[in-house]
Amino acid sequence: MAKKKTNKINILVDGKPITIVEDNFLLPDLLKNNIAIPTLCHHKDLTPNGSCRLCIVEIEERGRKRLVTSCNFPVRSEIKVETNSEVVKKYRQNLAEMYLGRWPNVEIIQKVARECGATDKDKYKSYLTEDSAHACILCGHCTRACNEFIQEDIIDFAGRGIKRHIAMPFENVDPHCVGCTSCAYVCPTGAIQVSDNRNHPVNAKLIQEHGMKVNAEMATLDPYQCRMREVGTANIVEVMNNYDLLPVKNFKYGTHEDTWRIDSNMMKKSYFTQGHPDQCWHGCSMACAKAVEDFELRTGPYKGHKVIVDGPEYETAAGSSNMGCFDMDFCVEYNFYCDTYGIDTISFATCMAFVMECFENGIIDKKDTDGLELNFGATTDTLEILHQMARGKGFGVEVGQGIKYLKNKWAEKHPEKADFVRDIGMEVKGLEFSEYVSKESLAQQAGYSLALKGPQHDEAWLIFMDMVNNQIPSFEDKAEALYYFPLFRTWFGLYGLCKIVWNDVVPADNAQKHPPQIAAKIPEHVENYWKFVEGMTGRKVDEKIMLDESAKVHNLQKIMGLMLGKNSFEDDIPPYRAVGPVTEEEYESRQERYDGQLKELGFDIDDKTTPEKMAILRKYRYEQYDKVQKAAYKRRGWNEKGIPKIERLKELGIDLPELVEIIEPLQ
Amino acid sequence: MLTINNRDKIEWQPGMTVSDVLNKMGYNYSLITVTVNGVLILEEDYDTYEVEDNAQISVFHLAHGG
Repeated sequence: MAKKKTNKINILVDGKPITIVEDNFLLPDLLKNNIAIPTLCHHKDLTPNGSCRLCIVEIEERGRKRLVTSCNFPVRSEIKVETNSEVVKKYRQNLAEMYLGRWPNVEIIQKVARECGATDKDKYKSYLTEDSAHACILCGHCTRACNEFIQEDIIDFAGRGIKRHIAMPFENVDPHCVGCTSCAYVCPTGAIQVSDNRNHPVNAKLIQEHGMKVNAEMATLDPYQCRMREVGTANIVEVMNNYDLLPVKNFKYGTHEDTWRIDSNMMKKSYFTQGHPDQCWHGCSMACAKAVEDFELRTGPYKGHKVIVDGPEYETAAGSSNMGCFDMDFCVEYNFYCDTYGIDTISFATCMAFVMECFENGIIDKKDTDGLELNFGATTDTLEILHQMARGKGFGVEVGQGIKYLKNKWAEKHPEKADFVRDIGMEVKGLEFSEYVSKESLAQQAGYSLALKGPQHDEAWLIFMDMVNNQIPSFEDKAEALYYFPLFRTWFGLYGLCKIVWNDVVPADNAQKHPPQIAAKIPEHVENYWKFVEGMTGRKVDEKIMLDESAKVHNLQKIMGLMLGKNSFEDDIPPYRAVGPVTEEEYESRQERYDGQLKELGFDIDDKTTPEKMAILRKYRYEQYDKVQKAAYKRRGWNEKGIPKIERLKELGIDLPELVEIIEPLQ
Repeated sequence: MLTINNRDKIEWQPGMTVSDVLNKMGYNYSLITVTVNGVLILEEDYDTYEVEDNAQISVFHLAHGG
């Protein structure tokens, strides 16, 4: 991640002291200190280019004076700055007169001319003079916005000298233009106008205003925040590893010394060749999808072929660590074949991790696996399972049935190890867990297990709020988070909108403007979604409308699950591997943490063995889970067994007889 | 002794800056906000802002990914 410099430098501006961070450009700090500086080409969200020269100031450095454009002058020493000296004033006035001579009727030019004391319209009048009030003044906002906001170069300067102008390649309309309207948005004169709003939104301007805020955040903040443009979601591989949250060997551990082999630095250095917007969302400025080109496959039907692989993303890499395969070539190859065969990488990786742990514990052996050695880290044999799954032959067919099927089958086969098999099989409601370790976050255990589709984190990802920030300490706090976030995330999903622009870039002042509970929602970005819906449909949305709209669907999903014989109380309980340490080696690997927690809770563990301490911890953690489960049900308007109350359906206006018929006997 | 997020404790040392606290806690996340005794500390001040003994420090991680 790019790190901003933090060294401070004291400078004198018009005799007054100002402190500025080293390498900051001068102009933004002058403006921040209420010093008026005229400019035409500066835009707060775009890289400065110093082309209009109006922001010129006089600096004195080591006794020598010179004129510099303040917008692109980086401060690196204790300089003196004169923003309004006679030479500066004269320079600006002359420049402003030239601009006025060429574009006398453009409002922004007239304004700058007034600020610079330029009054003579005719002094530089020539055959170049353009009378239009919307003439292009060659400020370059549009070319920079095209490049920086949207990572395209559809428009640029063409011609030289007095023939310089803005154009698309060869003066034709470029079909690659996605119509993002960034250029029109930043154009200060109206020279670029939007003539066709293709989807006919009710209020295109509203959508544009909010979309451009995100574009600007991507251009200016992403390099310092999540690096979505640079490496996509893979940026969190190393973060999760550092916070003990990256699943390793079927979620036994949260960190591993070999993670560097599969992290985003490795991907960027040796694998990713494509980082361009791939139009997964038309005109999306985040462009988080990455690709690996010319990757030579070493197994399967395409062995020896060079292919393009879309990915890997975080979950794919974390799936590798979960299978103990810290091998980037393997990661890219299983990514490719999962995509090619139409198999979900998460389900495959989590299922294989379970199979591997069973193999290592003698639940299954080589007779079951047709001779494959499925220890953790078995890259070649794991790929063979994937190919078998696709061919419909061999042990891969068994694995393809998923953890729930395997768990029941192997628990029956080994009754003496049935509890262990159930504890380590990371599925809820028949779906495999996605790739985060939830042991130290009660809210995340519930976020996973209460999700109606099964343990996918896209309903509620609360690990940091709970485990690290300690910002939802009570059961009620957790229940509130388990109410709001699943409903919010369900809601924008219903509108077909992407989650990434909600929290993978964040307004710079988000946490300064709001207290933590509110900041976690990122209110400005939630508002972007509301305004998008309003701009498209004309219908206003607020938090209540959003949550109620979503709760209708959420409750319908719940009842449909009940109709299918699922979504019972028991279906919302996670396997113990998601809650705490199943094995002695697991407990002892984090002994300080677990012992500390037990002592803090008042348990006397001084003469207890590891299995005894594990039993106490297990009982305590499941009791805690039970409480959070019930608190979450209550907040959702469900009874203690997780069944929606009839009053709740009435409140939401969905008390249809066919629904009431399902839940009435369960009240 | 410093208290982080109302829960975690670390030993205070003279001259300890916000950056030192973050390093000690292993907090290298990109979206964090730090307050010391309720006062918001800007990222540009992490290297220079010295925390006092017994300070209550909040290190707020804003979820991304996920």
